[in-house]
Amino acid sequence: MHRNLSNSAHRASHLVLVVFALSVFPTYAQSSTPPAPSQPAMREVVDEFGRTVRVPQVPLRIVSLAPSLTETIYALGAQNRLVGDTDYCDYPPDAQKKPKVGGVINPNLEEIAALHPDLVLVTKEGNRIETVRALDTLGIPSYATDAHNVDEIISSTQKLADLLGVTEAGKSLTSELQTRLATLHKKLENVPPSRVLFVVWTEPLISVGKNTFIADAMHKADSVSIVDSTQDWPQMSLEEVARLQPEYLVFAASHSEAGTRDFEALINRPGWRILEAVRNRHYAVISDAVNRPAPRIISAIEDLARQLHPAAFQESPTPEKSSPPGHAAIHTPFDSREFACAR
Amino acid sequence: MRPLTLTRLLVRCGILAAILFAVVVLALKLGAVQVSLYGLGRDLIGLLLHRTNTLSTDYGMIVLDIRLPRILLGIVVGASLSVAGASFQALLRNPLADPYVLGVSSGAALGAIVALIIEGHLNLSPEMAGLITPIGAFIGAALTIAAVYVLGRRDGQIDSTTLLLGGIISASFLSAVIMMLMTTLSGNNLRGTAFWLMGDLSTPQPRSLLYFLSFGFIVAAGAIYTTASDLNLLLAGEKEAMHLGVDVPRVRIVVYLAASILTGLAVSVSGAIGYVGLLVPHVMRLIFGSDHRMLLPASALGGAIALVIADTLARTVTSPTDLPVGAMTAMAGAPLFIYLLRRKLA
Amino acid sequence: MSTVARHPFPGEPARSSSDVRLSVEQVSYAYAPHPSQAPLFTLEATSFQAKPGELIAILGPNASGKSTLLKLISGALGPLSGRIFLNGFATHSLPVKTRAQRIALVQQESRLLFPSRAWEFVLQGRHPYGGGLRFESEEDVIIAGNALAQVGATHLADRWMDKVSGGEKQRIILARALAQQPLLLLLDEPTLHLDIGAQVDLLESLRRLAAQNRYTVVVVTHELNLAGEYADQVVLMQRGKCLRVGTPATVLQREILEQVFQAPLSVEKTASGRPRVTLFNK
Repeated sequence: MHRNLSNSAHRASHLVLVVFALSVFPTYAQSSTPPAPSQPAMREVVDEFGRTVRVPQVPLRIVSLAPSLTETIYALGAQNRLVGDTDYCDYPPDAQKKPKVGGVINPNLEEIAALHPDLVLVTKEGNRIETVRALDTLGIPSYATDAHNVDEIISSTQKLADLLGVTEAGKSLTSELQTRLATLHKKLENVPPSRVLFVVWTEPLISVGKNTFIADAMHKADSVSIVDSTQDWPQMSLEEVARLQPEYLVFAASHSEAGTRDFEALINRPGWRILEAVRNRHYAVISDAVNRPAPRIISAIEDLARQLHPAAFQESPTPEKSSPPGHAAIHTPFDSREFACAR
Repeated sequence: MRPLTLTRLLVRCGILAAILFAVVVLALKLGAVQVSLYGLGRDLIGLLLHRTNTLSTDYGMIVLDIRLPRILLGIVVGASLSVAGASFQALLRNPLADPYVLGVSSGAALGAIVALIIEGHLNLSPEMAGLITPIGAFIGAALTIAAVYVLGRRDGQIDSTTLLLGGIISASFLSAVIMMLMTTLSGNNLRGTAFWLMGDLSTPQPRSLLYFLSFGFIVAAGAIYTTASDLNLLLAGEKEAMHLGVDVPRVRIVVYLAASILTGLAVSVSGAIGYVGLLVPHVMRLIFGSDHRMLLPASALGGAIALVIADTLARTVTSPTDLPVGAMTAMAGAPLFIYLLRRKLA
Repeated sequence: MSTVARHPFPGEPARSSSDVRLSVEQVSYAYAPHPSQAPLFTLEATSFQAKPGELIAILGPNASGKSTLLKLISGALGPLSGRIFLNGFATHSLPVKTRAQRIALVQQESRLLFPSRAWEFVLQGRHPYGGGLRFESEEDVIIAGNALAQVGATHLADRWMDKVSGGEKQRIILARALAQQPLLLLLDEPTLHLDIGAQVDLLESLRRLAAQNRYTVVVVTHELNLAGEYADQVVLMQRGKCLRVGTPATVLQREILEQVFQAPLSVEKTASGRPRVTLFNK
């Protein structure tokens, strides 16, 4: 008698479990895409990650998930269509006033969705693939750029201009950038390149790999990064750097005093005086624009070239070149230090 | 003398389930974007009754596609970790045991990192690419489970102390390998991995994975539950348990495998979220006692509640930035742990 | 004090008090800590029999093989040679659950990881009768209550196990064994941590329970006088050898006891005819 009771209690508990389990599954099964409003014209493009994506013919609500992309949008004059960017998008200053969606690595999906974007821009090396997948799941089109060197940055800019429907602005911007690079190249044609170490971080000592666009930026400024690693952010030992003896150390900073402080802090560390560049105070500080694959990097390249090879620029005493629209000049603070690191 | 009856069990679980439901509703409401409860409720009811997508686009996407899957994921992961934690505490006869003590999470992390490294060299469809990290993690977890099982045997049977030693050693070794591998990762992968290692629920997972997870939870937790009264006796001592009719080797294997699978599944999708598996069983024990027939379901529900609360805090406290939920559980868990210790749990 | 009647197991012969319940036949055992090492301990061929209602004392100094013999009887170990039968079934070959329904073992100490209440503890004794997800029935609760009553511990039912005294704990552990409704009740040195009064109480209870519930009780001890006063049979062991089996009067005799326990003593008869051993200074 008692056994029968506990048996039916068993069955009851099993039933409860099954019902509970079944009631959970329908919630998974709910279809997620809401009915689309009147569809604007769409087209298919292939982004720089190799994905085929459907994007609007003319994107009207753009979210940028990388500071370099935000800068580029402003440089192309499309900023009134930018509805959101990351906490780190600080250039130009107007970008800081745009609605923020969080960080580069961990943007807030809800914020992005609440802005109802019709296009989200990402970079391959800054953003996470999980973010892109999440956007796919939500049905929000995303486009990825992936620039490995300076030429690709320029072509990327043009592709972005085409994507946003401002092809003409793109052409004019890219041709200007290419002209500036060509002029630089001509000036430095017969000047032997300097061997430099680009310092990302001092403790531990981290530099840039040879396949990065930063290394290519060095190259465009007639210098050669002494680091021969395929990693993007290789950690270097002081021994190795001492063996390679770079002629110059290059720092990127938001303003020149910070860069000088970095250098001063460095030379006081044990062992660093083994480097000639440290003993002779051969260092250059350029704008941190060099860290972003955006049009402004050209200015940083020019600035670096001036600091490393001042002789090549003495014939043409022109001040800073005309900047693309929305681009603030930041050369002046660095120029004032020129003599301190002259050869 | 009032032993546990089915009625009492169901009533208590019902109360916990009601709390969980309330927490879920609150979690659906809270977030970086404001959602009104009334509108939400009205639309949800409409959805359930008519099964049509009548949610207004204002917050339909946010609630259904972003928050709800994340909350459901938190429920399954929280329940899995807590049941695994309670099981390991019984199996290893150690109140400090948590789901990761036997190295399953390190194995899963290693598997995920290897999968990330391999993924760069393969050309995968987007569907597959989304699954490769959890699959790699789960393979890593499974291999670790097997290895620790082999290490943890003595005279052909699992021995609690040997198992614990084997697990701790494996965890250390795997962590060292992980550190080595992380130096070879490029920046992007590195950042993603760091997030994952801390424990993170913010990545929407493919539906198929969620189904698999839930199914795995039901099967594994169910298997452990069949040994619930055996576990009660095991806590008094293995010899005594045997003399009271417990098939100790069989119980050990079932609990070890099922609890490890629960851990492996949870870690594969969300990384190693800490403190949930350790503390929820202790809190439930304080409230309901050590009878595992009550403790296991209570831990499952309690873990779901705890993790959903923690995740909701993680995504609202520093809005709009998401904190990884593992950071939240650690910040809340450490003081709670100290408090429980002072009440002389062990 | 009522007990709930236990149904006979299928295949069990009808019992009468003259039937032998426990039969230990030429049982031996050897234990090697490592396959390559020589066996560390040996139990040489030992035999005795016990009936329902009897209390057997396995007596001997430390390391005489008493505990090993008890483990063999309990079925936890399998004998190297010989057999142990409980109502016709070999104890080692019984499935664990069935064995737990017939044999209850009371060990010296119970290490509880998470403390429980006394009644919960005693209810564990009903585990051999349950299915996987079974919750205790009213019958189980009654049996557990009776078990506590039989050891005089009803007032301890709501106490926490880590808050009772040594003697009280011993009684509750015994109650759990009784809740198993066994045929055979085994106790391994139950008097070790008890004061003298508690020791006598325990043995009195055991003798009473054996008579009332028709248990066969086997107690391992090195207490000469407890064995002498309460046992129906004594099995005298020394260094793995069974030296003598019989009633206390036949076993507890001066020459053999002096040889086994290596101490000068004298044996007298009490009023009830039982032997009493007195130790002298060396």
